[in-house]
Amino acid sequence: MRGIKPQLALAALVIPLLFVVIALAEDSYSWNLPKGFPRPPVPADNPMTPAKVELGRYLFYDTRLSVNGKSSCGTCHKQELAFTDGKPVGEGATGQKHSRGAMSLVNIAYSAALTWSNPQMKELEQQALTPMFGEHPVELGLREGDSLPAMLRADPKYREMFERAFPGTADRFTVANVTKAIASFERSIISARSPYDRYHYNREDDAISDAAKRGETLFFNQHLSCFRCHGGFNFSGDSVGEGRQREVEFHNTGLYNVPGKLSYPAPNVGTFEFTKAPGDVGKFKAPTLRNIAVTAPYMHDGSIATLEGVLDHYAAGGRTIASGPNAGIGHDNPNKDQLVGGFELSAQDRQDLIAFLQSLTDEAVLHDPRFANPFPAVR
Amino acid sequence: MIRRRIVLLAAVSLGLAFAQAPAPATSGPPILAVTGDVPMPPMLKAEDLAAMPREKAMVPEQDGTEVEYEGVPLREVLKLAGVPLGKDLRGKALASYVLAKAHDGYEVVFTLGEIDAQFGNTQILVADKRDGKSLFGYQGPFRLVCPKDKAGARSVRMLETIQFVRLQK
Repeated sequence: MRGIKPQLALAALVIPLLFVVIALAEDSYSWNLPKGFPRPPVPADNPMTPAKVELGRYLFYDTRLSVNGKSSCGTCHKQELAFTDGKPVGEGATGQKHSRGAMSLVNIAYSAALTWSNPQMKELEQQALTPMFGEHPVELGLREGDSLPAMLRADPKYREMFERAFPGTADRFTVANVTKAIASFERSIISARSPYDRYHYNREDDAISDAAKRGETLFFNQHLSCFRCHGGFNFSGDSVGEGRQREVEFHNTGLYNVPGKLSYPAPNVGTFEFTKAPGDVGKFKAPTLRNIAVTAPYMHDGSIATLEGVLDHYAAGGRTIASGPNAGIGHDNPNKDQLVGGFELSAQDRQDLIAFLQSLTDEAVLHDPRFANPFPAVR
Repeated sequence: MIRRRIVLLAAVSLGLAFAQAPAPATSGPPILAVTGDVPMPPMLKAEDLAAMPREKAMVPEQDGTEVEYEGVPLREVLKLAGVPLGKDLRGKALASYVLAKAHDGYEVVFTLGEIDAQFGNTQILVADKRDGKSLFGYQGPFRLVCPKDKAGARSVRMLETIQFVRLQK
């Protein structure tokens, strides 16, 4: 008996510990990040778990999360277009148009500020509420207190998934848990497998063309200075890893210079909309250039159709619009970033830069079944 | 004094190529030229840097990644060219500077005081490796790395020339 008691005591300690370890193993999320990619920041109250990510994928693509069952997050964020929609501006479930284009969600986990111009929008959980419940414009058109929780609770698949994603909570079917799951799924969409990544991080010299290599050098050349706004591993102006702080910069690139008090056409007046500082008129975020070749049209309002057009805009140091309501010489915009000074490009340079930008297309992320719509095509 | 410096230069050169002016940017092995008001401006190839005293530095990048750079301390490169450092860095020599020039025309100035071990003793590397691999593409083949800097703008990529300029003689 004497010898058994310590064994029992040990077993009493070890067995629950084993259950905890097994539970943790099931709950632990593996980022599988390649070299050069930091671990993304994740809010303390919404740790990543495989169950939450998978639930988020279903919710992201479920058109029942819209006022009329016609739209989901995936309607404006299509996987094959690097989670954009190919349109100049987004279009909500009721047909109402957004004033700005749908931003790519690829590598959104690293974004220190979300949306095109709101410096205060920093958490995906918070941002998800805007397309769900926003009225200006209507995107998904949901309303607080509607039947969303009831629908989720009534669906056997969701009952199972919510139980796994949010175990031990009395009421799992809440809007807060919906946004947590969607945010977790969005954070999981990591693009790190482009030909450029194979060239740059894995030293596979044949992964990109000689033209793309020349384009890379041009991109990082001080005369063009593309990298100063689209820098780092994510070719963006706002990416940050876990435990880091970053002041996000917004830029006026001289896209417009309309007459009047505000030099950008309303309602797209940039960070001025939130800060009311005159110097912020026309300032927008420099988004990631990863997969940029599949996310046309470009700029915050989709007003440039092609990458060649974007190069023309920057080469001219701002866009000149000869006629119409937005006529003006963007080059002379008083808020224009001094980095957008213009440069000369030969035809070869232009081709090389495009080749470099195309090398950032990650076919794997565009077709990865982990990020795909889980519903049949009818939904 | 002059004879001793010449002997020192000859002793440490170990096959380094010397010339009066940087080679034009043509095909061939990449060259890092030390130019300006120095006794014998060296033209350094990768193998020359590999044979010199080397250091490593972990450098955090703004986005949270951390990379290891390896290369030759800038002060060692300057010593090789005969730039006044150590006990020679005094008086008028302190009114001198180093201009680091990149392939694309980017330029950054460093003072001897911040580089010299008796003064600022700031670690600045002429790096040729990143995470154990030779620098290539837009980064290399040589670049400056300033691990103590909070911003990265002085870490000149595509470094081609280090020019020494005396303001007082």
